[in-house]
Amino acid sequence: MSYTLSTGAQSESNIEVHKYYGGTVIAVAFLAIVLQAFLHKYGRWSELVDLPLLVTIYFGVSRRNPVTGLFLGAAIGIMQDALSHDNPIGLYGIAKTLVGYLASTVGARIDTQHPASRFILVFVFFHFHQAVFALTERVLLNHPAPFFTWSLLRDSLVNATLAVVLFAALDRLRRQS
Amino acid sequence: MDTLFSRHRALALLAAAILSQVLLLAFQIKREHDVRLIRVWSAAAVTPFERGATSALSRIDGAWSGYVWLRGTRAENARLRDEVDALRLRNQELEGESAEAQRAGLLLNFRDAHTETPMVAALVIGASADTSSRTLTLNRGDRDHIRRNMAVITPDGIVGKIVEVFASTSQVLLIDDKDSGAGALLADTRTHGVVKGGDTDTRLDYVVNDEQVHAGERILTSGEDRIFPKDLLIGTVVNAKPGVPFQVIRVRPAARLDRLEEVLILLTQQELKNPSESADSTAGQSTTPGILQTPLPAAVTPAAAGPQAKTVPSAPPAPRP
Repeated sequence: MSYTLSTGAQSESNIEVHKYYGGTVIAVAFLAIVLQAFLHKYGRWSELVDLPLLVTIYFGVSRRNPVTGLFLGAAIGIMQDALSHDNPIGLYGIAKTLVGYLASTVGARIDTQHPASRFILVFVFFHFHQAVFALTERVLLNHPAPFFTWSLLRDSLVNATLAVVLFAALDRLRRQS
Repeated sequence: MDTLFSRHRALALLAAAILSQVLLLAFQIKREHDVRLIRVWSAAAVTPFERGATSALSRIDGAWSGYVWLRGTRAENARLRDEVDALRLRNQELEGESAEAQRAGLLLNFRDAHTETPMVAALVIGASADTSSRTLTLNRGDRDHIRRNMAVITPDGIVGKIVEVFASTSQVLLIDDKDSGAGALLADTRTHGVVKGGDTDTRLDYVVNDEQVHAGERILTSGEDRIFPKDLLIGTVVNAKPGVPFQVIRVRPAARLDRLEEVLILLTQQELKNPSESADSTAGQSTTPGILQTPLPAAVTPAAAGPQAKTVPSAPPAPRP
């Protein structure tokens, strides 16, 4: 298995846009949300993982289409808000919309097949997602949400590690060109 | 425009997605007083423009009416000046009337306190043209049953006595005139003397040097002059010095002789009684000074004085001390 790690200096035409079988993206996103809700009742350890965020990042960097990325992020985030108990709808939506857009933009410039690049991307996007979420809470809800804590650092490392495995599994769902 | 949108299509859609979700949040979130955030934002966005528009319109209107549209302003200004002048005059009149009413109220109170004593209220309408004599002219005369040697008083103290009576006016010789005099006694020691006017001050004469007289001691009428009823307040001692053969006692008259406007003319020489002690006096007990303990005098018309007014002339004329 060979990995390609391209930089923005390369043209977008050199970067492959991955295709998936019909309904795969929607099905995986829905499954991630359901799993997130389902696992939550089995213990607080499930709070370490943000499966909808990982799916958003994965399809963002794979599809490499900012419009698709932002709508996918918005849809996943709004659904996550709707399933939460006390979040007003839009908190996760805004954060994941931005993540989806940026992941698609980054994915269009960088080939993210290498596990290391995936680890770093998820680590960075996790903290970006948390920063947007905290900022939205502070500005709109007047809640003093933290931008960074040690537990958030731990969570980001766990999610980045999980992403390396999960993304490799999701790669198998690609339609062969 | 289409080119610009298509070039930044993704960015525009991102902005639209974020904005729509922010608005969605604003519809859900409630701030203080249960007001939705979208309302807070709307008010915050609109209020500055409304305030600015109102302020601008107000300034324009002020500039127009204050600097441009001045038609009729000169006439209005003149009219307002006239109105202010008229109001100032009216205000002065009312102040004068108020003071007069206050003084009349004092006289009325005194009349009510001494209903048994006939008295006539009079206005001071003139004074002596001679600087060496201290006399006043009153608006009551023979028609009002005023006679010579009747006592003239105020709420504060005695004023003088009637020396000339004309048909409708009369002349009062003040107690500080050099030709005037009133039988007096010191309130504390009951030592008798005579209060006389002078060129510069008023004095209590005929008090021997052995008598202790202190400043501030009250001087009352003794009634011996048969003009002033007994125990009316004349004034207070300013200072007392030994003299030859009698003490030199300077007196400050209780009545403000230099600014009299209304006075009372007593139609009888009978003693003024303290109304609170009238019942006691009818029971044969002695009375204490009337005007001393009686707050204020009141006016009485000649008609109110009734038949008693006509009995006054029977009082013997008192010689000047």
